[in-house]
Amino acid sequence: MSVIFVALPVALIMGAAAAWACVRCISAGQFDDLQSPPVRILMDEKPNRSLQARGSDDYVSTPD
Amino acid sequence: MNSNLIDQAADAPIPAVHCTSVDLCDHCGLPAPPRQNRELTFCCSGCQGAYHLIHQWGLDDYYALRDRLLESQAAAPVSDKLSSATSWDDLDKAGLLGASTPKAMEDGLVCSRLAIDGVHCGACVWLIERVATLCPGWQDARVGMHDHSIEVTYDPKVTKLSEIAGQLSKIGYRVFPWVEGTNAARFRQENRQRLVQIAIAGFCAMNAMWIAIAIYAGEYSGIAESHITLLRSAGVLLGMVSAFVPGKPFFTGAWAAIRTRTPHMDLPIALGVGVGAVAGVVSLLTQHADVYFDSVAVLVFFLLVGRWIQFRQQHRAADAVSLLMRMTPSLAIRVGVDGTQNKVPTSSLCVGDMYYVMAGECVPVDGRIVEGATSIDRSLMTGESVPASLSSGDEIEAGALNLRSPITAVATATREQSRITKLMKLVEDASLKRTPIVQLADAIAARFVLILLGLAVLTIAIWWRVDPMLAASHTVALLIVACPCALALATPLAIAVTLGRAAKRKLLIRSGETLERLSQVGTVWFDKTGTLTIGRPQVITNDLSNDLLALCASLESQSTHPLARAIVDAAVHRSISLYPLESVTEVEQRNGGGIRGLVAGRHVAVGNVEFVSKSVLSLDASIIARVANIASEGQTPVLVAIDGEAVSVLGIGDALRSDARSTVMALKERGWNVGILSGDHPTTVQAIVKQLDLSDSFAQGGLSPEQKLEVIEQSKQVGKAIVMVGDGVNDAAALAAADVGIAIRGGAEASLHAAPIYLASGELCGVVSLIDASKATVRVIRRNFRVSLGYNTLAITLAVCGIISPLIAAILMPISSLTILSLTLSSKTFRGTSGASS
Repeated sequence: MSVIFVALPVALIMGAAAAWACVRCISAGQFDDLQSPPVRILMDEKPNRSLQARGSDDYVSTPD
Repeated sequence: MNSNLIDQAADAPIPAVHCTSVDLCDHCGLPAPPRQNRELTFCCSGCQGAYHLIHQWGLDDYYALRDRLLESQAAAPVSDKLSSATSWDDLDKAGLLGASTPKAMEDGLVCSRLAIDGVHCGACVWLIERVATLCPGWQDARVGMHDHSIEVTYDPKVTKLSEIAGQLSKIGYRVFPWVEGTNAARFRQENRQRLVQIAIAGFCAMNAMWIAIAIYAGEYSGIAESHITLLRSAGVLLGMVSAFVPGKPFFTGAWAAIRTRTPHMDLPIALGVGVGAVAGVVSLLTQHADVYFDSVAVLVFFLLVGRWIQFRQQHRAADAVSLLMRMTPSLAIRVGVDGTQNKVPTSSLCVGDMYYVMAGECVPVDGRIVEGATSIDRSLMTGESVPASLSSGDEIEAGALNLRSPITAVATATREQSRITKLMKLVEDASLKRTPIVQLADAIAARFVLILLGLAVLTIAIWWRVDPMLAASHTVALLIVACPCALALATPLAIAVTLGRAAKRKLLIRSGETLERLSQVGTVWFDKTGTLTIGRPQVITNDLSNDLLALCASLESQSTHPLARAIVDAAVHRSISLYPLESVTEVEQRNGGGIRGLVAGRHVAVGNVEFVSKSVLSLDASIIARVANIASEGQTPVLVAIDGEAVSVLGIGDALRSDARSTVMALKERGWNVGILSGDHPTTVQAIVKQLDLSDSFAQGGLSPEQKLEVIEQSKQVGKAIVMVGDGVNDAAALAAADVGIAIRGGAEASLHAAPIYLASGELCGVVSLIDASKATVRVIRRNFRVSLGYNTLAITLAVCGIISPLIAAILMPISSLTILSLTLSSKTFRGTSGASS
């Protein structure tokens, strides 16, 4: 059972790393808007055919 | 989506519309002309344009997405009065954009952040961001639903900001230059700070819990001493971090409470958390007593989450209101010496500058008309319902609405010196003076701490004789288990739930504390114009047959006078078709008199007694009597003469809102006093008093904004809850001073600023549902208190008797919090409230 002397600190460090990452994300503003990001997932599902068919050069896919 | 709107359409008070079946617009879902042969139908050409644009772009998914998402929407309010046919060219002038000035990015692109109105749900976000990728030169759009902002990235060589704004307005969204509210930045910062605290507290609490489970399991099945020491050390470490990093606000709050001698919920929390953390370290070092690190960590986590939820709900309401404020134009048209017109920020107008006010726009600064004649709606400032006819030489005040024709005026004051600014100052002072509401929770907290300390002393005294070590350990246990987690959660959760449900019903509450005030019985003061009444003239007394009304309305459609418009509206309401324009001839108008002419071959004259009496041979005594009768009811009598014979008298006045009567009745039933504070003429107020069955002592007319404030201050002396409901600038100071100020839709920026509650639905009955909801909320809070005090009593009794263990504490704490949570969520606040939906 003495593996716990290694496992416990490792577990805590991993958890702390996740918490740190979360704090970084919060400070960067990722959690400011909790309403529009869930919709944004739905967006880039299918490329817009009507415009590509028209051959517009201005069609730029958003990389998100 | 449409079930909602069908309900709304059915509720709307339009009895005279003869539509057998109501078809709904294919774009916006509002009632539209009936469709023929399953064609598309639209309520207006704007919707038709938007529909075809969306269709042409291949974005029909918008409608499917919208219908799916509409269930969860809480529609943002749009103010009717502020809408104007804006040309978007202003957006290309760098000097007028303020915080929205485009910033250069790499690749020659620029990026600008604007405020956007009309974003209701996820489907709007989807549509706007898709459209952005389809317009040439417009690279990207990011909509922030939380603060109604849009960030557009575009190529300035290909497109302009005004073109983007034009595209957006085609699909029904309007953009404005962004004005960074002082609150917005602070809110963002505080929100992030709270989330960071929650993240840390969550990490500590979850890890402390599994460590605690390991210890309890070890106690049953046997565990090596070295292992338990390791687990305890790790647990105490987590508990300490939780108590002093994310838990720090509780200590600062408690310290402030001690210093200012105002008891606060933070006090007992800090006591429990502090004792728990210190005792944990001491017992770890001495290897003696139990440690409560998991209780401390979970406690801090729950409390932070509860407070964050309340914080968020309050700010969602505040955000919606601040969007409205952004929409108020802060531009004026300055006329140069050579007659050129320039748009400038209102604040740059100086005394002596000439400015131009278009019809339908607000006067930017106090001034005197030098050219043009028009009618001015001063109701926002004075509460007077009848527009004043003004011409060259007359004074106009900032904030008044120009109704009829463009005027040129010379500024007699700057923005700072204008009366409206002085009123705003008054509003600020009044809101500073408002006595803070002592929340029930804080009142309980004070007694709670005293009782707790007393019990702690008692525990020490009892157990000291048995064993001094045991006495210390039991006292520590008492202080920790008595920490009122559930008690502290009770209020924020109940308020957050009510705020959320209220927002769905378009009642925006910015300050949760007001709910406790509303739950008590007191006095409601209503403003008259625009609050109890619709705020624009309407034909109230009308016994004309449809044929005769058609004659009058056809004649009046030639005039732009507000009373004339009321008569035309009356005909439209009855679905009467007017005569074509050609058949109205020989029209003669006189300002302040009336209008006469030939309609379909018949002589028609409409106007006041003096004017019409010239068109008729004689006036009946009965007609004269009816004129006097209508005037005594506070309406403006308008005579109708056809072919030289006076046939009837119309009464035009500011009609009551359809739900005014039922609202007043409902308020009285609930034991509230109802009164009117109006700036309008006392006789008009008396007429309303009679219609609503109010007592004369509670109705005051002819009040200036300052006098309204005085009345509110006086009635506050009695000590009961004072509620003020109003919409105009003239109510703002009173709204700010009242215990609870409620602004109603269509009101001015100032009243939005001043009132903690905003009825975005524009329905008066919202006041009643609010009162019912706050009563229900307070009931929920009380019930939560009883339950959590029950848990606490149990825990304290166990602790005093010395039979509590860390395990029992670890089970009791989350269970009490979860009970509170489920009790609050299952509460019936806003469900089945009378008046809310009817």
